[in-house]
Amino acid sequence: MSNIVITGMGVISPMGVGCDTFWKNCRKAESGIRKITSFDTRAFRSNIAGLVEGFNPGQFMPSRIYRRMSRISRMAVAASIEALEDSGIGLDTIDKGRVGVIFGTAYGSSSHVEDFYQSLLNDGPRGAQPFLFPETVPNAPTSHVAMFHGITGPNTTFCQNDISAEIAILYARNLLLQNIVDIVLVGGADELSAMQYACFDTLGALNKVKVKEDEPVKPLPGGGLVLGEGAGVLIMEKREFALERGAEIYGTFTSGVNTGGITSIGHYEINGEQTFRAMSQAIEQADVDSDKVDRGIDLIDVSANFSAELDRMEYIQLKNIFPRHIKELKVTPLKYLMGNFGGAGIIRAASILLALRHQHPLPVLKAEILKGEPYDEMEWEIPSMDKIETALMTTSTFGGGSSSLIFTSN
Amino acid sequence: MSINPSRRVAITGIGVITAIGESVPEFRQGLFNGKCGIGPVSLFDTSGFPSQLAAQVKNKNLEACIDIQKFNRVSRCDLLGLIAAKEAFINSGLNLDRCNRDNIGVIMGGGAGGMRSWEKYRRTLWLGKTRPRPSLLLPFASCTLADFIASHYRLTGFRNTISTACSSSSTSIGYGFDLIQTGVHDIVVTGGSEALSELTFAGFNALRVMDPLYCRPFDKNRNGLSLGEGSAIVILEDYERAQDRGATIYAEVLGYAINADAFHMTTPDPDAMGMSTVMAKALKRAGLSTKQVDYINAHGTATKINDDAETRAINRVFGRKKARELAISSTKSMIGHCLGSAGAIEAAATALALYSQIIPPTIHLDEPDPDCNLDYVPNHSRAQEIHFALSNSFAFGGNNTSLVFGRASVDI
Repeated sequence: MSNIVITGMGVISPMGVGCDTFWKNCRKAESGIRKITSFDTRAFRSNIAGLVEGFNPGQFMPSRIYRRMSRISRMAVAASIEALEDSGIGLDTIDKGRVGVIFGTAYGSSSHVEDFYQSLLNDGPRGAQPFLFPETVPNAPTSHVAMFHGITGPNTTFCQNDISAEIAILYARNLLLQNIVDIVLVGGADELSAMQYACFDTLGALNKVKVKEDEPVKPLPGGGLVLGEGAGVLIMEKREFALERGAEIYGTFTSGVNTGGITSIGHYEINGEQTFRAMSQAIEQADVDSDKVDRGIDLIDVSANFSAELDRMEYIQLKNIFPRHIKELKVTPLKYLMGNFGGAGIIRAASILLALRHQHPLPVLKAEILKGEPYDEMEWEIPSMDKIETALMTTSTFGGGSSSLIFTSN
Repeated sequence: MSINPSRRVAITGIGVITAIGESVPEFRQGLFNGKCGIGPVSLFDTSGFPSQLAAQVKNKNLEACIDIQKFNRVSRCDLLGLIAAKEAFINSGLNLDRCNRDNIGVIMGGGAGGMRSWEKYRRTLWLGKTRPRPSLLLPFASCTLADFIASHYRLTGFRNTISTACSSSSTSIGYGFDLIQTGVHDIVVTGGSEALSELTFAGFNALRVMDPLYCRPFDKNRNGLSLGEGSAIVILEDYERAQDRGATIYAEVLGYAINADAFHMTTPDPDAMGMSTVMAKALKRAGLSTKQVDYINAHGTATKINDDAETRAINRVFGRKKARELAISSTKSMIGHCLGSAGAIEAAATALALYSQIIPPTIHLDEPDPDCNLDYVPNHSRAQEIHFALSNSFAFGGNNTSLVFGRASVDI
């Protein structure tokens, strides 16, 4: 049994800015996928994404702090402020050298990469704009979080496409277990940019749906990725440390496994052997009642994102994990509501932890929907449950990596 | 510490490709002979930039070094990494067919990744004359190298890429050390790769931190860094396992630390608190006292502020007397600043220094700076007994990493 607990969270997501709004929208399965308004999509074959709306960095920090930051850094710092407040930690009362900041992001600020390179193309070698360059590194959001709060402990950034945030959680656990830190701000963040959207569109990876103003947004299941953006931060600490400072605990991070599948660039693991291995090992390590048909798992959060390769592979592996239960199996593919991005794992974990804390289940779909059933047949429902004790969060990314995390109620 | 102290970590395989050598023997020769790899750049047009030189890998036919058919759409960055990985596996002597591949992790450090490929796409689009190949966009993410290495060698353990600019690949070695020491894995493939790109070249030029000639770390007239490219792949292995199979052990990894300056995005803290703390914590984790250290492979970028601050940090951590006894060198004076792969290449240089008992020099150090008052092993390598060594990497955003290495089979 792990003694690592989560005591605070901050969420800036397409499903709401701030934890309260996010949780309200989670419970209603209110989709944050909408028509893109932040850049021109006329040249693309798609125009939808999970967009963060109504985010005003000024509500979190003064303009002199955020004016030089990219969108991703602003969202990351805002989420960290909410998370620290929520956790009740007074940073000034603890050793900030024993606080870690560990983030996962797929691409960092791709908009700054584009803008800086464009300034070079337009204005030549001596015209490239120096103030755009520092934000092009993927560790910029993580560093801004450390700078904003004056946190000098371990600080690093993971970039592994869609499992970036999940592996950040595993590294945070590594730091806590080795007693290198007392507290970790573990985050995930990504921004939606025209540059990144254009790349995915050119590669033919996006869900080819174009909507008009006010038209309902219905991505095609199995039709390709729907991108998203957002930032989330969880406060992770050892149970003793949390109890000593009288913190409220959302839940326990019980076990986690990272595996690497074999595939070619731009593709998901085809058969999912390593996804299966990650799930089985995480369940085994969590020491739950795995003789039951549901193997003692009350909540399953999958990483399905409307791509045919991933969604079907996840379905097949869920069938292997829950062979006697697959017909009744229900899952929460949160990316169906907020889009796909590298930092999404933290926000998915936040939804699980909120469900554990409030003992209110997340909305679910029949697992069979992952096989690619039409969107109109997607009926989100709130399952009835006496008790929610254990949740499984599985994630696989193109390129092959997989991770599986188990969270339990206190 | 709540870790199993019986698990020690050995370096049993190294592969390197840089401007001063495209294999370990060549690199070693260049390193100990003080070869300068900094010169004109042929990958893209550098005319018009205030500084136009860099340490480019000279080989014009890199594709011939590996079985390129197997690797669709590789970027230059991934190509360099795959070449280094091939050498590292060969010289580790590992027979992968006899290993449990679920128990081998791949942790890479990445910088700009396939940026050069994206730039080719983007520039062609901007010129508007021809249509660029969409596949140039595929290797954009810096994690493709980890995926390529893992898929090619069918390694199914941990799969991570760390991206903290100039300290990425030193942290990858640190995390690999953690995974072996805590018993998660027996073998971890670590390291990183970086290819020169217009973005980084224009970026560092725009920040006015590049020397128009070649970088001169710790020299009184130093005027900024020189960029470089290359890759180092370092295979870490459970020490006992390595001994049992009679592997060559280049050096032992003893510990590491990472931290944050929490000061500024591009400027190191002139007070050097972050740099000092990270070295002190790395030594503590390794269970060493400052007295035991013989050599520091410095971050030594040759910017005015970095070299001052790093010297100050070394003085603070080791005390003035011991600091003067240390041999310190910046191998960036030869290979340039390789950003995402700098940490791994410098770790490889440090391991080779321990293995050969020779300290690589800081070249272009002609006029000592009174503010940098330590022994930087100027211009000529030095044969010397080395038991323990540190390798520093300090990145953009204040991301510091310090790695501690020991001579193989030296008892602590």
